[in-house]
Formats: sequence, C-alpha cells, structure tokens
Amino acid sequence: MRGSVLTIFVGVTCTVAVLVSMLAMGTGARQQAEGDVHDDEVMVQAQGAQGGFDSNISRDQMVTLRDLPGIDRDKDGEPRVAGIVFVPFEGHRRGTGRRVFFPLIGSSDVKFELRPPAHLTEGRLFRPGLHEIITTNACVRQFDGFGLGARREVRGVNWTVVGHYDQGQSLECVVLTDAETVMSLFNRNGFNRITVRLKAPSDFAAFNRALEANPALKLEAKPAREQVEADMKQFKGLLNFVSYFIGSIMAIGATFGAVNSLYSIVDARRRELATLRAIGFGSGAVVAATLAESILLALPGALLGAGLAWLLFHDMAVSPFGFSFRLDVTPRLAEIGIAWALVMGFIGGLLPAQRAARMPVTTALRAT
Amino acid sequence: MKYLPLIWSGIWRKPGRTILIFLQVAVAFVLFGVLQGLKTGIQHAVDAARADLLIVHGRQDFIFSGLPLGLLEQIRSVPRIKLVAPVELFGSYYQKPENGMLIVAVRPDRDWTDAFTFNVAPDQLAAFSRSRTAALVTEFAAKKYGWKIGDHIPLVSQVANKDRSMTWTFDIVGTFTDSDFTPGQYKILANYDYYDQARVSNTGTVNHFNVAVTDVNQAVAVADAIDRLSTNSSHETKTESIRELAQQQVQQIGDLDFLVHAVVSAVLAALLFGTATMMMQSVRERTPELAVLKTIGFTDRAVFFLILVEAVVVCIAAAACGLALSTLVFPFAAKIVTGLAMPPVTVATGLALAVALAAVSAAIPAVRAARLRVVTALAER
Repeated sequence: MRGSVLTIFVGVTCTVAVLVSMLAMGTGARQQAEGDVHDDEVMVQAQGAQGGFDSNISRDQMVTLRDLPGIDRDKDGEPRVAGIVFVPFEGHRRGTGRRVFFPLIGSSDVKFELRPPAHLTEGRLFRPGLHEIITTNACVRQFDGFGLGARREVRGVNWTVVGHYDQGQSLECVVLTDAETVMSLFNRNGFNRITVRLKAPSDFAAFNRALEANPALKLEAKPAREQVEADMKQFKGLLNFVSYFIGSIMAIGATFGAVNSLYSIVDARRRELATLRAIGFGSGAVVAATLAESILLALPGALLGAGLAWLLFHDMAVSPFGFSFRLDVTPRLAEIGIAWALVMGFIGGLLPAQRAARMPVTTALRAT
Repeated sequence: MKYLPLIWSGIWRKPGRTILIFLQVAVAFVLFGVLQGLKTGIQHAVDAARADLLIVHGRQDFIFSGLPLGLLEQIRSVPRIKLVAPVELFGSYYQKPENGMLIVAVRPDRDWTDAFTFNVAPDQLAAFSRSRTAALVTEFAAKKYGWKIGDHIPLVSQVANKDRSMTWTFDIVGTFTDSDFTPGQYKILANYDYYDQARVSNTGTVNHFNVAVTDVNQAVAVADAIDRLSTNSSHETKTESIRELAQQQVQQIGDLDFLVHAVVSAVLAALLFGTATMMMQSVRERTPELAVLKTIGFTDRAVFFLILVEAVVVCIAAAACGLALSTLVFPFAAKIVTGLAMPPVTVATGLALAVALAAVSAAIPAVRAARLRVVTALAER
C-alpha cells in the first residue's frame, strides 16, 4: 500500500516539478522583455524591414517625423524622438570564452535609454564623439572585459567603458553610445529604428494616421509593447510548446502509474468497499469516494513539485537560444501545475473507481 | 528454454497491470528517445558538417563589415585552396513583409557549387550561368509560392537599384536544395555581377567568401593564412569552417544539456518507483504459487531469475516500443537540421537503461522470492 501511494506521489511530484520549471522559462522571458516597456513609446522602422538590422531611416525622414502630431515635447519644446542605430559587438563569455554577438546601440538621445527605472549605477555618461561607451551591469557579469576603464576595439578604434547602468528587469547585455559616432565609423547615413515618446499611449492612432498619410515617410510604427510582444512571440511559443510537450508525456506516464497503483489500492480494500456497499452506500458514493481519494493523493505531489521547482529554479539565470533571463516560478504557474495534477488524479482514478463500484458484493465479502 | 512458458504466464498473470506498466515504461522512453535522441543527433549533425568548406567574413560581424571584392584574388593566392567564391547576402520579401526571402548573390563561375552546400540539377545550373537575371529558388519556397521555371518574380528589398526602385526582378531557371547544417527554407540564388552593377551603394563589396580547401587536415592552417592577409587593415577577416559555425549555433541553444539531463532523470526516477512497487506487489500476491514451484523442485536461483527475467522482458519490450515511437519526430526535426536522425547509440543507451530499470526494480522482490520459505509461505494460504 505504501508503495502504491508513493508511486502516485513521486510520479505527480516529478511531472509537476518539470512542467512548472519549464513553463517558468517562458514566463521569465516574457516578464523580462515586457517589464521595461513604456506604454507611451512607439517604435518606428522602415516599411517591410525584417527585424531592425535591414531597416534604414534617412535623416530627412527623421526630420519630417519629428513634427508629427501626438509626440511629447520636453521643456524646451523639443520633440522626444530618438534615432537608434545598431551594429554588432563582439563579446566573450566569462569562463567559457565563447564568442557572442550583441548590438552596440548608438542613440541620438541617451535620455531615452536611461529613462527610469533604467539608471546609471557606476561611472558617468559617455561624451559624444570620444568613442566612449556605457554598458549594462549584465555585460560585466556575463562577459569578459567590460569593467570601468576597459578598452574594446571596434573597427580599429578603441572604445572606453566609462559607465555601467541597470535596465530594470532585463538581463540582456547592452552597449550604449551616441548615434553620430557609430554612424561615422560605420559610414552609415541613416538610423535602424526611431523611438518616439507620445504625450499619452492613446495618441498612437493620431500619430500613426499622420505617419501613414505622409508619402515621404515609408515607415511603419508599432507601440513598443506590441513590438516587443511580436519579437517574443516565436520564442515564447517555442518554449511553451516544448514545456507542454514534455509535461504532457510525463503526465501520461505518471497517470498510467497512478491507475496501476489505484487498482491495487482498490483490490486490497475489496472487503471494506463491499462492506460499505452492503450497509447501503450506493455505487455512486463508492465511485465518488475512490475518485476523491485519487485526487487527494495527487495533491501533495503537486504541491511538492511546484515547491521544488520554486526552490531549485526560481530566479535561476539561463541563456537558451541567445536570450538571457531568469526563470520565474509564479503562483499562476503553480496553479497550472496543481490543476494538471488534479486532472491526472481524476483520470487515473476513473477506471479503478469503476471497478470498485462494480465489484459483486457477495464475492468481495468472501475475499481474503 | 523450458522456462519460457512459465515466464510468459507470469507476465500475463494480471494482464491489466502488465499493460499499464508496459505503457508507463513506453511513454517514459518516448520522452527519453526524443530528448536524448535530438541532443545526440544534433551533435552528430555538427560532426558531419563540412570542415573543408571555410567562410571568410568580417572579423567584427557577419552583417556590416562588407569585405572588398579585391580580396578575392589575394585569397586565391593562398596555397592549398581549391576554389574561392564571393557571396553577398541581402534580405527581401515577396508580396508581403511576412514572406521574407534571403537573396544569396553568387558568381556562377566554373564548378562554383563546389564551394557551397547547394545541390542543383546540371541543366538548371547551366541555365543559371547563362543569364544575368537568372535565379534558383529553394524547392520549399517554389512550392509554397507556386513559382515555376520561367516565372519573373519581383522581390522587395531594402537595397535601392539604379532604377531608383527597391524592387528586384529575377527569372526563375530552377530549384535547389541546401545541405547546410541549418538550411534556411526561403532562399534565392542570384547573380552577383547583376546585383553589384545594379545597386546604388556599397558596390564592389561582399558579405563573405566561401573557400573550399584541397585537404581538410590543412583547413585550420589555410584559415590562418587567409586571416593574415588582412591583419591590421580596415577589413580584418575571420575564417571559420562550416563545422565550426554549426558548433557555435548549437552553443547558442545554450543550456540544452542541463535541461535534457534534468528531465530524463526526473522521468526515470518516477518510473523506477512505479515499476518497483508493481513488481513488489506482484511477487507478494504470488507467494503461494512461488512456494508451490519450490515444492516441486525449483531452486532458489531459478525462482530468482524467473522474476528478474519477467521484469526485463516487459521493460525491454516497452522501451523498444517507446524508442520506435520517438523516431517519428525525426523526419520533422530533419527539416530544420540537415541529416538529423535517431542515433543508434541513443537506442543502445535506452535499451541498456531499460535493463537496468528492470534489474533495479525487480532486485528486491526477486531476492525475496528466492529466500521464500516453503512451509511458512504455504501456511499463509
């Protein structure tokens, strides 16, 4: 008996622990990507550009865009618009020395990139034109050679790290400098992307209408949140597919184990069950009791599984597919895990409950 | 041999239980086969990637550091090189921005495909080299968009041509397949000279060079020699083999090993509990029968092996079934990674694990059965 109970318990624990920790990757990735998004920001890129790298926005377009309606202005009346240019930047992972590329971002308005909650934690801002860069603290943790004062070579020019900053949620390594310096070094005459801050998120419709109505601007705009969601969609879809695929197969296996265990529990208790029937409990009551027992047996496993996932993996930093983020075991995921376990308990209990209810009372009472 | 019927009847003594154990083990090995098989299979595919095909790209990156076409002659002068081919890449789309097509501009010189992983029919290859606007498309894209030989297809890119247009038109003369490690499915091969002369900016540059070496054992030395050509210039290069690039791609996936190990361990741990409990229960229920066997002359050892073999047979059959099912995912996965197949070593490991699983879960009940005292066991009846 103890063995049967343990089988259900261990099976459910392992399944829920694996499912919850794997789903925590998707949640963590999303949480990080969307945690730093400002709802009043809009991203603009060239029409039909696939990702940012092949998008090119000329300076003329930038000038025209600044006068579109809905854009917020600072106290000097300047529109809050930042042109962004990015080029690949080489880094070597700490420990393994593995080569990784991430963007070196040139921004025409650094205030955009350092908008709270992002803030400088160490050093100072870069000065334009001097080949100075600031990096996120994630760079220092993940890669070699990003300490204050470190020099990095790009296109034969030495760049000095003069400051470190935190982005808020994100664990991505970002290297930041001013747009003009990057553009002159890489012979570029346009931006990859423009970030616009609106007066309010609801001004997007007006802004977008004006953008589309201007034939000189072959650009497309998306609210920042939508853009980030679109960027994340494929990755998160993949993570969730893998999680549910593995979770389902494990659940099926564990359910088979549970059915077997419950059969032997029911068999061992034939006399008790027959006695219940003999003193007047209907077969419905017996089915309900067996099902309830099965579900209750699954519950502690689910709690332990979710707890283990939280203990072992919550906040663990992982970097699959070139993304870096922390696993996030949320109460919502624990709920999914518990629901999963209850379904396993229910399905696992169905057949044994039927057998319990159909057992002929007289033979069962005579059983040893 | 004479024990076979006995083992068989032992297995089917309680058919329901055996079937459930069978299913449980089979399901666990489906997961094992998929996870472990993909992991090992990907590594095998990397090892199978060509080490004699080198890619010369800008040292900083793959995207912006356009290399001067003039480097072509310099690289040709490096010893032990069979072929050098310039390659320019640019993105485009067909009709809608969602329908991305990567344009790969190459020079259709003699034997040019030796420096690539493309497979093209000879007559289509000849047609491609005859016309400047000719293009070859992947079979996948041709099928998806219904393109046929002779079609003129307009692709919209971010590169302007001298007609002040972003639209480039190509004449399809054939299709090709790509046996690269992760071949993109939306690719079109075009003529480099046509593209370079028609574009407004960045003329005379290429994205990278493909280099085929004569001796694969000298590939590293050749790569170093090529990179030395441009040391301290404004366009320093980095030369890597297709296999090295595939290896880097796999590393990008990241914590795969950890994930696979964690999941497989959890599955096997849960499974072990299930099978062990069931074996224990089965032997307990069979105590009188086993006592009878001993009474009629079966040795302790024979009873021990009866129980053990019973478990091994069920577990191996179930594991084989599960592993066979798991191979079903490989044809799908092979669309993303060329040559991906279920590695025999994974099958062997799986079956060995199944034996170990059976042995561990049947060990205690088998020992208990062997030590059974006939008198007490029969007395319990």
